[in-house]
Amino acid sequence: MSAQLIKEWTAIHQFPAATQEKLVDLLGKLKNQDVNTLTILVMGKCGVGKSSTVNSIIGERVVTVSAFQSETPRPVMVSRSRSGFTLNIIDTPGLVEGGYISDQVLETIKRFLMNKTIDVLLYVDRLDSYRVDNLDKQIVKAITDSFGKEIWHKAMVVLTHAQLSPPDALSYEEFFSKRSESLLKCLRQGARISKNDVKNFAIPVALVENSGRCNKNEFDEKILPMGTPWIPNLVHVITDVALNGKGGILVDKKLIEGPNANDRGKIFIPLILAFQYFFVIKPIQKWIKMDAATEDKPSWA
Amino acid sequence: MSSSFATPSHLLPLTSSRRRSNSSSTTIFCLPSPTSINNQSSLASSQNLKPSKSRPILLTSLLSPKSLALSAASGILFHLSIPLFNSGGGGRGDGGGGGRGGGGEGGDFWTRIFSPIAVATDDDPQKEWDSHGLPANIVVQLNKLSGFKKYKVSEIVFFDRRRGSTIGTDDSFFEMVSLRPGGVYTKAQLQKELETLATCGMFEKVDLETKTNPDGTINITIPFLESTWQSADRFRCINVGLMPQSKPIEMDADMTEKEKIDYYRSQEKDYRRRIERARPCLLPPPVQREIMQMLREQGKVSARLLQRIRDRVQQWYHENGYACAQVVNFGNLNTKEVVCEVVEGDITQLVIQFQDKLGNVCEGNTQFPVIKRELPNQLRQGQVFNIEAGKQALRNINSLALFSNIEVNPRPDEKNEGGIVVEVKLKELEQKSAEVSTEWSIVPGRGGRPTLASIQPGGTVSFEHRNIKGLNRSLLGSVTTSNFLNPQDDLAFKLEYVHPYLDGVYNPRNRTFRTSCFNSRKLSPVFTGGPGIEEVPPIWVDRTGIKANITENFTRQSKFTYGLVMEEITTRDESNNISANGQRVLPSGGVSADGPPTTLSGTGVDLMAFLQANITRDNTKFLNGAIVGERNVFQLDQGLGIGSKFPFFNRHQLTVTRFLQLKQVEEGAGKAPPPVLVLHGHYGGCVGDLPSYDAFTLGGPYSVRGYNMGELGAARNILELAAELRIPVRITHAYVFAEHGNDLGSSKDVKGNPTEVYRRMGQGSSYGIGMKLGLVRAEYAVDHNTGTGAIFFRFGERF
Repeated sequence: MSAQLIKEWTAIHQFPAATQEKLVDLLGKLKNQDVNTLTILVMGKCGVGKSSTVNSIIGERVVTVSAFQSETPRPVMVSRSRSGFTLNIIDTPGLVEGGYISDQVLETIKRFLMNKTIDVLLYVDRLDSYRVDNLDKQIVKAITDSFGKEIWHKAMVVLTHAQLSPPDALSYEEFFSKRSESLLKCLRQGARISKNDVKNFAIPVALVENSGRCNKNEFDEKILPMGTPWIPNLVHVITDVALNGKGGILVDKKLIEGPNANDRGKIFIPLILAFQYFFVIKPIQKWIKMDAATEDKPSWA
Repeated sequence: MSSSFATPSHLLPLTSSRRRSNSSSTTIFCLPSPTSINNQSSLASSQNLKPSKSRPILLTSLLSPKSLALSAASGILFHLSIPLFNSGGGGRGDGGGGGRGGGGEGGDFWTRIFSPIAVATDDDPQKEWDSHGLPANIVVQLNKLSGFKKYKVSEIVFFDRRRGSTIGTDDSFFEMVSLRPGGVYTKAQLQKELETLATCGMFEKVDLETKTNPDGTINITIPFLESTWQSADRFRCINVGLMPQSKPIEMDADMTEKEKIDYYRSQEKDYRRRIERARPCLLPPPVQREIMQMLREQGKVSARLLQRIRDRVQQWYHENGYACAQVVNFGNLNTKEVVCEVVEGDITQLVIQFQDKLGNVCEGNTQFPVIKRELPNQLRQGQVFNIEAGKQALRNINSLALFSNIEVNPRPDEKNEGGIVVEVKLKELEQKSAEVSTEWSIVPGRGGRPTLASIQPGGTVSFEHRNIKGLNRSLLGSVTTSNFLNPQDDLAFKLEYVHPYLDGVYNPRNRTFRTSCFNSRKLSPVFTGGPGIEEVPPIWVDRTGIKANITENFTRQSKFTYGLVMEEITTRDESNNISANGQRVLPSGGVSADGPPTTLSGTGVDLMAFLQANITRDNTKFLNGAIVGERNVFQLDQGLGIGSKFPFFNRHQLTVTRFLQLKQVEEGAGKAPPPVLVLHGHYGGCVGDLPSYDAFTLGGPYSVRGYNMGELGAARNILELAAELRIPVRITHAYVFAEHGNDLGSSKDVKGNPTEVYRRMGQGSSYGIGMKLGLVRAEYAVDHNTGTGAIFFRFGERF
């Protein structure tokens, strides 16, 4: 798939002019920082709208989506280039299968990502879920175990289905902050980010509304209930994360399999062996000699 | 004035002349003790010790190799049979010259009187006896009896003339006569009996009177005067074995009084010299003190007291295994010190003999030093023969597994008075043997009827070449397959060469070199499911390779083994295909083959060479059937970086087991064993490359009881702790135990984390109770992870 010919990002023209302008602006900003490629990994539970988000960012229907079933059996990378800048977005299947984290899915994702550098991780969930549960934590944990804690430096949370009416007695902003806060809390727990570390792991949150009935502003841009156009905003946050100074995560064998326990301490083996000889075998031999000397002899001996 | 007339050189007639002597000695002849001694030898000799005709002690081990294996398994090491110990006239001294007279026929006589059964077979005494043919109730002198009649004796009474009373039947004097009430005897036999009594030295005067009964039988009364000597308060025991017998000097009846005194003086001097020359005996001071106490309490030294002393001394010797020891004489009587002369049974020679199948002496293949190094030092020349040492020799030689029959016999030395020749008689096993056994498998076929699984035969072919060069080197091989026509499927083979006495057969260092080709097939406990998962597809680990090692035995149980192993490990799935990864069952029910890798190379086939060392220190022993002591085992596998992916590792295990005796108990057969607390710890760890088949698994009957093999996990480092309290119950014991096994968080350090993949806990505890029933342990163990218990039956010991 990496050998796939990288298409020109033509769909960018389909965005409203205002959006286009902002996107080009942001891309230029990246280029100024000598960032010519941006690889975005999209992960999350099933049916939260990962593929739709990818489609929305690219501006065309690159990944098939359907309303009622998971359509992504394996990871897909969509690459678009524009004036020397390449945008790679990796869409992944949902990590949950039958109420459990699917090791197999995780495994295929890992294998797909082998030798790629992840610049930004989009952790996707729905805004309109009211609570987080253990499963969310497990997903976060699985991601952390797979790619290391460092990945959360390059992560942002994307909340889809942003266009909703919050439950009674809560303003949209209040609801949004509560929801994002609880999700982030769960995320920190799952990723084992201690409280002291929270500042180092500032994980931004962006809202997304992929629905075609999304409200639009006067420039024909899709906007969130607060009024901000979300695509430029999302790309803006992505750019921020990409440029936050931390290096991207290169997925290699070592990262996936963890530190190779087989190599740990190998250089000390000669020392260990010497220790065993002088401090285990020798004393035991001495004990045996003592035993032989103090052994109960039969009366006739 | 002294006279010790026991030894032929100091013979004195039992006449008044002895009354004049200040000191004299007497000989108590040794009577057959009921268990081990049977007298068969002739009386012909006038010498004190005449063990030459005695039949030796036989320590016989009759074992076929098969029964040996069986009995070894059941803990019985050998069969020991001691058919007879015949100490001939050993220690018989003739008090007077009269003994010589009856010499010729004496043998026959003694044979008869000491073995009533033989008499019974000669002529049935129950029916064939003659009436005395005299009026009833008259006293008849012995010489008045008819020499042609067989008299039936209905009663025998000893009458003590000094006390004027008869003595009870439990008195030791009754042991001295072979006459028994109800027996049938001729006049000659009765005369012989009287002669014996008169010459034994116990009596100053003894007679034999018969009284007729109305029913034709006779009653015998033996009036006697017991010999007594001055009271003594000291006791001395000397070993007179191997001392040269001084020639008896005939005492001329015409000697003048002065000559007689001179003669006695020289006798006395001789005797003193003899005592000085004699070696000290083994009798320990406590027993000597005990005897001194006996002497002091008694006052006058009487014949019966000497008999008691003799019995006590001999009892000590026999209880302590000195089966050939005999009290032969008491000397220095009528002085303050009683001297007890003992022939302890010094070994003068050790003879090793080989016998062919028919029992004829033949040339053996086994070299003598091989056997000699198995013999305890106590069986060497110059030592006192001890039956326990003989048994030890028997056990040691038996453990060589070279002989079908082993006998260790002490035999009196004809050339050396009082000496013992130890004979080791061996029947060698066939050097070469080969065996073929075949089998056809029968399986339930269509309709449940038994069907031949295949027409191909399976079975084992084995051969053995034992005792190569007579140095106990052996070469053995076996091939087993379930299908001889297509053996590559499941061929199991073994070829082993064993070379003992690596440092030379004379070197006390006991090192054995072993080399073998082997293959084995085991189910890997690494690929086992945790409590939630029932079915994990199994992985078989096949190992094929060669091994060479040296074992040094320090003690019977402690040893050090070190060597090199080169092997090929192949991991296969159920259908015998090589599998590089373990399989796992998906939640959907499907099976995926991307589980943890089974080998280091990732191909399913690993090659590796490593050094292996194992040191075992074991000083456990059985105390009334319970094990006490401690055992430490350290095992090390050191990878050499030779093989697939250049495996370099240090895999080590340390096991520490203590069997603490909780109560002091008396040791002895039939005594209750003590309660024992067993503490056990096992640490296993590996640094470097660790393929999954070498990972340490937790759970199982030898790890954490109450769980299945590997049910708790497979890890890089493990720690197991266990405690067991054993309470003796009759002949066996009951126990309670608690165990814990922990992966120390190192499960993740095994490639692919099989512990987590198969949803295992990585740690667990259990507790339970159990009972030892023969070889089987029956136990109820509660698995602490789930809190459920189950009953298990296991073979063998946990520790």
